[in-house]
Amino acid sequence: MNDFGEFALLVALATALYGCVSYVMAVRGNRVDLYLSADKTPLIVWACVAIASAALWRAFLTDDFSLQYVWAYSNREMGTFYKIASFWGGQKGSLLFWTLLLTTYMSVAYLQNRKKNVALMPAAMTVMLVIVVFFLFLLNFSTNPFERIPLPPEDGRGLNPLLQNYWMVIHPPTLYLGYVGFTVPFAFAIAALITKNLDDGWIRLTRKWTLMAWFFLCMGNLFGAAWAYVELGWGGYWAWDPVENAAFMPLLVATAYLHSVMIQEKKDMMKVWNMSLILLTFVMTIFGTFITRSGLIQSVHTFDEATLGYYFLGFLGVVIAICTGLILKRLPLLKSKNELDSFLSRESSFLFNNLLLLGIGFATFWGTIFPIISEAVRGVKITVGPPFYNQVNVPIGLALLALIGIGPLIAWRRATLSNLKKNFLKPLAAALLFGAALFAFVPLGGRADILAYVAFVLCVFVMGCIVSEFYKGAAARMDLHEESGLGALGALTWRNKRRYGGYVVHVGVVLIFAGIAGSQAYGTHDQKHLKKGESLQIRDYTVTYERLLAMEETSVKSRVIAQVGVYKNGRRIWTGQPEKEFYKGQNQPVSEVDVLSSWREDVYLILADFTEDEAATLKVYINPMVSWIWTGGWIIAFGTVVCMWPDRLEERRRVMRQKKQEAAFSPAQE
Amino acid sequence: MNFIHFMELLLVAAILVGVGLPLFRGLSKTRLFKPVNPRSEEYKHLLVRKEEVLLSIKELEFDFKTDKVSEEDYHGVRHKLELEAAAILDRLDQLEQEKKNGSARAAKAI
Repeated sequence: MNDFGEFALLVALATALYGCVSYVMAVRGNRVDLYLSADKTPLIVWACVAIASAALWRAFLTDDFSLQYVWAYSNREMGTFYKIASFWGGQKGSLLFWTLLLTTYMSVAYLQNRKKNVALMPAAMTVMLVIVVFFLFLLNFSTNPFERIPLPPEDGRGLNPLLQNYWMVIHPPTLYLGYVGFTVPFAFAIAALITKNLDDGWIRLTRKWTLMAWFFLCMGNLFGAAWAYVELGWGGYWAWDPVENAAFMPLLVATAYLHSVMIQEKKDMMKVWNMSLILLTFVMTIFGTFITRSGLIQSVHTFDEATLGYYFLGFLGVVIAICTGLILKRLPLLKSKNELDSFLSRESSFLFNNLLLLGIGFATFWGTIFPIISEAVRGVKITVGPPFYNQVNVPIGLALLALIGIGPLIAWRRATLSNLKKNFLKPLAAALLFGAALFAFVPLGGRADILAYVAFVLCVFVMGCIVSEFYKGAAARMDLHEESGLGALGALTWRNKRRYGGYVVHVGVVLIFAGIAGSQAYGTHDQKHLKKGESLQIRDYTVTYERLLAMEETSVKSRVIAQVGVYKNGRRIWTGQPEKEFYKGQNQPVSEVDVLSSWREDVYLILADFTEDEAATLKVYINPMVSWIWTGGWIIAFGTVVCMWPDRLEERRRVMRQKKQEAAFSPAQE
Repeated sequence: MNFIHFMELLLVAAILVGVGLPLFRGLSKTRLFKPVNPRSEEYKHLLVRKEEVLLSIKELEFDFKTDKVSEEDYHGVRHKLELEAAAILDRLDQLEQEKKNGSARAAKAI
């Protein structure tokens, strides 16, 4: 089966190459036969990659250690759950997994559009096939997952213990679904540039793809934060690690795109800007894989055998050159005839939001590549730490938060200042009242305290704005259609899914801001070496170390668990069990934290060390409002589903347009 | 020949048949794209613009109802949007008329 898998990868490469060439020749020679031939290749390439992936999964599940990759990332003791996830545990498998997702997306985009969008399809498919060719080239000739070991060992090394967590099954696929998803809008954008179909057709075509990719990338980032929180054992969820940054940057650019693209749809302007943003989003996703696979920047996420830097750098260079060249070449066609009606309009607020998002993106990019630049210029690798990112990004982030509230209250095209003042009055009053009340309860000694205070006040302001948007919208509907309050609210959201789904996403973002502010400013921690029965006092909690339990879970894994009683106001509220896990053949034990989570704060326990006399060093963190971040994530997920829900009215309008077009210019030239 | 080699051969044969068949159906002279009619493209674009402008008018009405714009600004922007919609509708009519005239001339010539 391994031979067959390896062979399928080679055939996939040959077919993808044939697809690229025949699509190009079909368009240049205007030949249907070549087009029909090329049109079979997306599905064939997907089938071949699926065969190769199935072969690799089979090797993992059957403990086939004749494959170097399986030997390096699996062993007989690992459960099926982790054997399946080991597929993307290393560089080779993760590239194959990426290619599997990429070809799956390509096939779905192909099946969706092959009859509807003949003008764009050949170019879009060619772009996607070229990207597939790059990945298949690497898989076949540089980092082959089917590489053999001449004398297969009895057992494998096993997956890195840090990765043996249920998040390993959830986080990487979610993140990859986001990263790879942006290939579809990128391919259609390039196709629009090549074919000069530069109206907003490609945007409407890829709107849901972009939203879906954004959703997965957002969830991937949050899942990664949740994983880091429970696994890495340092009490936090985000460390501005280069690879975290690499996943964060495309999210920022894509968020800017999702907002500014609405201006193009409404006013037929900002074509260059939107085109640049979606191309930049894709470039950022490739940059992310470059960071993980180059070994140039140190990160907890970097693969052991990060050797593909130059390939990705070259690919990145080619992509940037082609994108820039195409945009410059089509500049006259991309110029807009329309202008902003007023400085005080929703359009302007979106432009500001774009600038702020890109500002955070640029600061993050600069911090990420600074070690490379400093090494190139001064010969010393200087790593930029969290203080830099917090110094620059937090104030911009707060301005962005304010804009989330301001934007929706401003009308499209032209808002009236007097009305605006009136609309802001209640949310502003609520925020100021809240600020005054909060003033008495929170410390305002340092920069972090002040920033958190401002963040909370802004959160209340934004929530006030969002609630007032729903309230006013529902009230207007009640007036117009004589509906009940709830009915009006439901109909309002249902009939304007994109707008009100977006507001729901904003609510999630506000909760995330609040959670970050609370946990960063008001968290505390303590560490103490305790004998049995001794306690540690932290805030309102008394943490009593009770006993140590040791157990052999499997022949390769043993656990040492500390039983800890947590008391609040003299009442026992929880028994925590932080532990250390020891894996055979691994030098370092892995800490498994235990967390008591509530909406107010998390009690976060780490077993830092223990001695033979059964004393233990416990590290206890009190992290306020962390659960708000995860709740915010679920609300974002709900809001995105609302936005993406099929819109029958829009579909009806599309069909009507097509009919009209056919009636006037039959047959329709889509 | 073992089973794996047989499977490999089968895979290659299936792909060759899949991508090769269209090349032997005698379609080499059939054109993939008809020459692009700029008027048809403009018509398509204007249909989308018309929809967007009409939606903008609806949205403006809603913004007015929810007190985001004053009456004066509402009338000003609405007038502008109506002019834009009228220009689009005029151009759409013009394109339809040109198409009809062109078809009639072609029919007469036959």
